[in-house]
Amino acid sequence: MSFGRVLRFAGLVHSGLPFIIITIDMSQMQAILLESLPDAVFQLDNFGNIQYCNAAATVLTGYAQNELLGKPVSYLTPNQVDNFKTTYELNLATTNGILAVNGWHLTKEGRKYWGEVTYSTIRQASGEQLGFACIIRDITERKNEENALIENEERFRLLVEGVQDYSIYMLDVDGNIVTWNEGGQQLTGYLSSEVIGKHFSIFYNPNDLLAEKPARELETAKRTGRYDEEGWRVKKNGSVFWASIALTAVYNRENKLIGFSKVTKDLTEQNREEAALRQSEERYRLLVEQVIDYGIFMMDDKGRIASWNEGAKRIKGYDHKDVIGKYFSLFYPEEEIFNNKPAYELKIARRHGKYEEEGWRIRKDGSRFWANVVITAVYNADRVLVGFSKVTRDLTERKKAEQAEREISGKYRQIARELETINAELSRTNNDLEQFTSIVSHDLQEPLRTVKSFLHLITDRVEKGKFDELHVFVSKSVIAANRMKELIENVLNYSQVNKGQISMNSWPIDELLEHVTQNLKGTLDATGATIYIEKEAGEVVKGDKIQLTQLFQNLLSNAIKFTNGEKPFVRLRYGLENGTLRFSITDNGIGMDAASTKMIFDPFRRLHNARNYPGAGMGLAICKKVVERHQGRLWVESEPGVGSTFHFTLWETGPKPSTTHETL
Amino acid sequence: MKHYKLILVENDDDERFFMKEEFEAFGAFEILGDFINGDTLVEYLEANPSAKPDIILSDLNMPGKNGYDIISFIKSDPQYARIRVVITSTSSVVSVREKCMAMGASDYLIKPEIFVDYGAYVREFYQKMEKLD
Repeated sequence: MSFGRVLRFAGLVHSGLPFIIITIDMSQMQAILLESLPDAVFQLDNFGNIQYCNAAATVLTGYAQNELLGKPVSYLTPNQVDNFKTTYELNLATTNGILAVNGWHLTKEGRKYWGEVTYSTIRQASGEQLGFACIIRDITERKNEENALIENEERFRLLVEGVQDYSIYMLDVDGNIVTWNEGGQQLTGYLSSEVIGKHFSIFYNPNDLLAEKPARELETAKRTGRYDEEGWRVKKNGSVFWASIALTAVYNRENKLIGFSKVTKDLTEQNREEAALRQSEERYRLLVEQVIDYGIFMMDDKGRIASWNEGAKRIKGYDHKDVIGKYFSLFYPEEEIFNNKPAYELKIARRHGKYEEEGWRIRKDGSRFWANVVITAVYNADRVLVGFSKVTRDLTERKKAEQAEREISGKYRQIARELETINAELSRTNNDLEQFTSIVSHDLQEPLRTVKSFLHLITDRVEKGKFDELHVFVSKSVIAANRMKELIENVLNYSQVNKGQISMNSWPIDELLEHVTQNLKGTLDATGATIYIEKEAGEVVKGDKIQLTQLFQNLLSNAIKFTNGEKPFVRLRYGLENGTLRFSITDNGIGMDAASTKMIFDPFRRLHNARNYPGAGMGLAICKKVVERHQGRLWVESEPGVGSTFHFTLWETGPKPSTTHETL
Repeated sequence: MKHYKLILVENDDDERFFMKEEFEAFGAFEILGDFINGDTLVEYLEANPSAKPDIILSDLNMPGKNGYDIISFIKSDPQYARIRVVITSTSSVVSVREKCMAMGASDYLIKPEIFVDYGAYVREFYQKMEKLD
């Protein structure tokens, strides 16, 4: 268009002028005309030097008229002395009569502007060239707009062409392909040279072609502006792919259909992924559904049951159809529902992600079972709560088994305890037996040996006719024989304490002690001993009368026996200590050291020489046995030269028959 | 003939009397003392630190400190540990003998059937002591 204008102007200067020239003062008229033109007009000589410029030219270039006159036209460009270019362009203009060029120019102030320059030759009627008319127009703005538009289109084209995942192309109104992109090539295998100009029906299979599908699609897009579908399409190599297609009608500004854009995406991969996901989900669903030992089900965010597995059915007795959509509180005992427990559990699960407990739950038939329950909050990918999973285990059998196990182990522990008691008793018995062996082999043999030895001596003396010592030998033999008798009686006594049941009658303590002192009367009289009885509490004592009598008798006679020539003074105190009867017998005898107090209760352990303190060494051993059979303890406190105190308690664990043997 | 310094411990007065007589008659033993139990023995040893016997011949079963107590006492004290302790008893129970030997006794001899006849016993005792030297 600009070209046309230049031509018109050239006509004005060149061929239109005769009209002006012949009517008025030509040069004046020319001057007015030129000065009034809105475009910058220069008159150049044949060498391109400025001979004249109009007012618009000084406005455009920023130079005054006199600053430009005589200067080459290149003076207005960044390279002000570019003669070569100017000469070349002017030569072209001379040859063609006219030349339009575009280029950068500089104003006097240095502002750059894109100038559209038109040169035309000025000739005389004779044909002689006088110079050039030159018009310069600042088209910077237009140029920028053009450039921006081109850049924009270029960017968009590159963008579309570069897209790889989508096939994007344009169709003309008849459906012929006019553009092609990288995605299209990758998807279908066609190069752009192979498809441009072809009809887009090349991507359709024969069935679709028979059904005239391409034409119908275009029709739909034309009518509604758009056509979308998913369907099978054919690649260059004949293979098919599952495509998502969007066909859009494209209109120009005048609202005239100029073609269609077509965007195609291959969904095959996506399909495969979706199928894999579906399959995986299906597998999980089947897995969960078939689990039978755990009740596993899903609930929505309100606690309504959304899925149900075989285990849940088995544990709770409900079928799938019974429970779907119902609130899970269905399984809770009434009091728990009343307590709002189900809601509380969901609240905890929502807050902490998980709720776990053991408790009673109800089956469909109303029976209870002991359940381990885990409720887990389930979130989707956007962290939005979509519901809860609930896993329930029926622990009833396990609990029962545990309880049974506890009972059994309790029973076994009881048996073990009893066995331990028996064991202890057996080892005690064994110990006793060992002591018996020792007694039989030593203590009982000793007096026998003494008797035998003296009989031997007696025989010897009788044979030799020496009779003076016989009396001594005989009396020593008698003493030994008595001692043996005493030992045998003691051994019997000791062994009897453990035997059979003891009687459990109650005896008045007064009476019992009276009986004992009567038995000891001979000894008491002979030694001049005093027994002083202090009663703090206690009227009766329970147990075996014979054994209790023996107990008191042994302790009291011991207290009297071991004196150092002093008159025995014995104090017997008794009272209740923590509800248990306790007796203490204190003497003023010879006492004993700490080492001795440990061994005096052993059978046949005599501390003192039999000559000085006669006895079999069994008394305290028997006492200890008696006290033990009456569930008590016997111990001694003693100081050598001061005296001893024997303490014993009875029925420390309360009176009860000693029946360990019978229970087993 | 080798001579041994000997201490006798026996609670039965008669038995001790006959034992002592026979050991003296044998001629190889110097009797440093005779005691009725371990208590009196210990009293003596502590009162007479210079008079150390070569051998203590002790009964096992006695009132007060018995034969076991004597072995423990002698063997646990360095100043007495080299003294031989020989236990004698009427008991022929093997476990009793083993216990004595385990505790440190040098020998265990069963008493004669009657204590008026210690002749053979003393001869055997002497032979055993010689062997231990």
